[in-house]
Amino acid sequence: MNADGGLLLIAILASSLVPGLLIFFLPEERHGLRTLLNLSAAGIKLVLVGVLLLGVQRGETFEFGLTLLPGVDFVLAADALSLLFATLSSILWFVTTLYAIGYLEGSPRRSRFFGFFSLCVSATVGIALSGNLITFVIFYEILTLATWPLVVHRGTPEALRAGRLYLAYTVTSGLVLLAAVIALNLLAGSQPFASGGYLLHLPDELHGLLQIIGLALIAGFAVKAALIPLHSWLPQAMVAPAPVSALLHAVAVVKAGAFGIVRTLNDVFGLELAADLRLTDVLLVLAALTIVYGSIQALRAQDIKQRLAFSTVSQVSYIALGVAMAGPLGVIGGLVHLVHQGLTKITLFFCAGNFAETLGIHEIREMRGVGRRMPLTMAAFTVGGLGMIGLPPLAGFISKWYLGLGALEGEAAWILGILAMSSLLNAAYFLPPIIAGWMAEPEVTRPPAHKTRFESHWMLLFPTLFVAVLALLPGLLAGLELSPLGWVELIVERGYVLVPGGDMDNGTGVSP
Amino acid sequence: MNAFILLGVPLLPLLLAAALSLRPGRAPLRLVPWAALPALLLAALGPEGKQASLPWLLTGVELGLDPIGRVFLALTAGLWLAAGVHALHERGEDPARRRFFVFFLLSMAGNLGLVLAQDAASFYLFFSLMSLSAWGLVVHKRTAEAWMAARLYLVLSVLGEVALFAGLMLAIHQAGGETTLAAIAAARPEGGAMVLLVLGLGIKAGMLGLHFWLPLAHPAAPIPASAVLSGAMIKAGLLGWMRLLPLDAAGHAVLGEVLVGLGLAAAFLGALAGLLQARPKTILAYSSISQMGLMTTGVGLALLLPAMREPLLFAVALYALHHGLAKGALFLAVDIAGRLPHSPAHRYVVLGLIVLPGLSLAGLPFTSGALAKDLLKAPLTTDSTGPVYTLLTLAAIGTTLLVLRFLWRLRRDLAPAAAPVPTGRWLPWALIAAMSLVLPAMAALTALAAPGVPLPGLADLSLLWPILAGLVLGALGGVMLREWMAHRLPEGDVAVLANTLIHATQGLYARVSPLREIRLHPRLRARLRRAQRVARHDLEWAERHMTRWGRLAVLFGLSLLGLYAAMALMP
Repeated sequence: MNADGGLLLIAILASSLVPGLLIFFLPEERHGLRTLLNLSAAGIKLVLVGVLLLGVQRGETFEFGLTLLPGVDFVLAADALSLLFATLSSILWFVTTLYAIGYLEGSPRRSRFFGFFSLCVSATVGIALSGNLITFVIFYEILTLATWPLVVHRGTPEALRAGRLYLAYTVTSGLVLLAAVIALNLLAGSQPFASGGYLLHLPDELHGLLQIIGLALIAGFAVKAALIPLHSWLPQAMVAPAPVSALLHAVAVVKAGAFGIVRTLNDVFGLELAADLRLTDVLLVLAALTIVYGSIQALRAQDIKQRLAFSTVSQVSYIALGVAMAGPLGVIGGLVHLVHQGLTKITLFFCAGNFAETLGIHEIREMRGVGRRMPLTMAAFTVGGLGMIGLPPLAGFISKWYLGLGALEGEAAWILGILAMSSLLNAAYFLPPIIAGWMAEPEVTRPPAHKTRFESHWMLLFPTLFVAVLALLPGLLAGLELSPLGWVELIVERGYVLVPGGDMDNGTGVSP
Repeated sequence: MNAFILLGVPLLPLLLAAALSLRPGRAPLRLVPWAALPALLLAALGPEGKQASLPWLLTGVELGLDPIGRVFLALTAGLWLAAGVHALHERGEDPARRRFFVFFLLSMAGNLGLVLAQDAASFYLFFSLMSLSAWGLVVHKRTAEAWMAARLYLVLSVLGEVALFAGLMLAIHQAGGETTLAAIAAARPEGGAMVLLVLGLGIKAGMLGLHFWLPLAHPAAPIPASAVLSGAMIKAGLLGWMRLLPLDAAGHAVLGEVLVGLGLAAAFLGALAGLLQARPKTILAYSSISQMGLMTTGVGLALLLPAMREPLLFAVALYALHHGLAKGALFLAVDIAGRLPHSPAHRYVVLGLIVLPGLSLAGLPFTSGALAKDLLKAPLTTDSTGPVYTLLTLAAIGTTLLVLRFLWRLRRDLAPAAAPVPTGRWLPWALIAAMSLVLPAMAALTALAAPGVPLPGLADLSLLWPILAGLVLGALGGVMLREWMAHRLPEGDVAVLANTLIHATQGLYARVSPLREIRLHPRLRARLRRAQRVARHDLEWAERHMTRWGRLAVLFGLSLLGLYAAMALMP
């Protein structure tokens, strides 16, 4: 156990927790100090995660352990898989904070908002750095509770209803998870996450029970990962402010669910055992259905944020789909989509928030001709939309490429059909707003740009453009070692994810 | 250095497009056409076998210039350059010209890049870039007609993209994970992979059955954009076939027969449908379908006769070069026709240059068409290929008639120029029109300089008689069918045909107007609307249902109960 390493992990958690707590006590009007606290915390966290990233790349181990109760350990550990999620969250947290400051400028109860915002991110990084299932579930529940005040932030009846629904879903799933984790603890004891799983030594008679526990874990995580039929809270939660939507869809909540599924399959059961127990098959079918269903619902939705929410339902399932394929290329495609979906979707939500905040646009049909008034935001929206379709050279293309090859590697050509259908549906619901935004004649005369010299408040515009660039680069430069793809290949290569029959030779010709 | 040059070819138009969209007022529009110049220089001067690997780009990009690629690059770059210079003047007064040139440059980058692409990912990248950006050219005029054509174009393009993607995935898998185009072709894509590749690329190439978007989209665009759409971009599908299909020593008889059949059918049906058209640009679009049919036949023959594949593929590439330049010149001629010079001598030269590429398409001796047709037919020496030889010859009659029909309709647009025509407006057109004579001259000179190369047969009798037959038929038809020819077939034949069938099955005799859009019968439309409404209602119902807390609680309780029951039952 590395003491320094352990302290680094604690420091990373504290870097958002402590400022979060301090912000609660700040009076509302101290926005200068609050902004300073927020941004410095986000900056510090970014630096610390960067240090951790380099350490893990060099092969150092980072661990922190504490026995809570006999048989119940609190363990923090950092492996390459943790860092995939932690790095994504810290970068996007920084951007989202900046965006939220601009978005909520002048609105009431900002101290409460930013306090819970920081708690959320602390919990998310906790999830990323959890070293065993119990720690994971603890942080997972903290995330649930810290997100609720953000969802209901506006206090309107719809917001409260969405909040109730969110709690109903997540608390229920939390209980299922808890039951499953306790059952697992009784069977196998409090074990740290181990690539390839720690349940292999259990006798065959227990496999039926393990199957049920596995299904319970998947069902529990499926709520946050928005797999059908447990996804309905997510489209309702779009009443929350745009930065919260970004947090839900890209940075924290949905990702936490998907990450939980990855951890369960890889580090608790191991992909081999999970395949034997047919857990992967269940997940594969569920994910495929979700991909199609989410897209069809998105096609129906007329509200921009609702359409984006259903698109998330569809796209996050790519992650589960990839991991459930349980082959090297599929797993690479799934894991890399964890990052790619986050970057692409946050771009789209920032754009939606930008349109709503600057011009009061909420519906797709109001987007006609908006490209003339807000060309940069519209360009970012285009990058996001085309990325979701999976067009090169955007990030989504790389995910689709590996998922497609992974499907064939696993002899499951029908998944290629699902991917093709999903691309078509994505094109059907993202191309019309893009076309209307650029080419159609606006129905109303829009007010000209006000006060600022940019098309909208710079704190709304710059983060949007930044994430749009981030949604482009990982695809364009996917071949680099430190691109998300490079990192995921490292994860698979070093065995952080053990893939059955995982030699990389049947890859794409890209040697990892 | 190689990487820098090869990547620079598509990058230069991209950068210029970015400059044009970011600095609207400042970016010099005059530079737009010259973004294709490096590509033209590379095609002319680049050494053989130039290639570069860029492992950091996408999933590892391979660019290279091979002999086939050189021919296509010369065509693509030359035509984009000429159309670009022309467009500067043709779009000079257009208030939305900046948007036009952004899409123009993006499509140019895609079209140039896909010629150099030697791996699947970058080929797909440039292919999509070209396809989707060209949508902006089709829709540019933003008339109801343009919107309709653009929508059909976009739907077909996206379908093509997805088919191409799935086909590439399957083919890469069959190639054991190799992503270079050469490796994929060497692994001989089979079954679903082959079908998807043929269809995905066939949409772009205007393959018969998938061609119906083309006569709507190509004429909807402004004239210079039509020229590159019909001259250069349509060849991307053909190049894709030549790169990805199993064109090796073993060949592929089934696919070869299908392609020859489809190609010959397209050659005749395209000409027939074009004859019934009235608008010059639509006639030219149908002529493109017909001519692409001949090139498709060439690819099919190369699959059927693997021994002759090299001369056949070279002939197809040269045919593409010839057709691209001639068709580009004919499209630009639509603009020139309304700007004839005042002095009679000059006017005859201009009229001659309008007619020349048309006759070249028909295969007039000593033109590029004669060269291309001769090269394509020369390998067909065996008895079994006799019928194909005859049909290829007969197709020239259709082409002659189509060209006559085009010139006949264009005649009404002939008008002297109201104002002096700037050099940039006529010179690019004149140069590519003159290529119909320059190409065979160059071929003859090459043959004379190198003793081993046989002199191309530029004046074969089999070239001349179909043209004469066409002229006679055209004269007869002009006299006898004058009344009848005033009517025209709806543009976008098959899409419209489906529509007519719907009408027919409804037992109605509603007159099908010369359709610009795909109009559904009112009752069918109402039924579709209702189905849509019901589906929407059901979907909403499903979502609402899943937000009921009670159901969840029951679900949760049951699962928990199941878990504990299982634990209790287990030892």
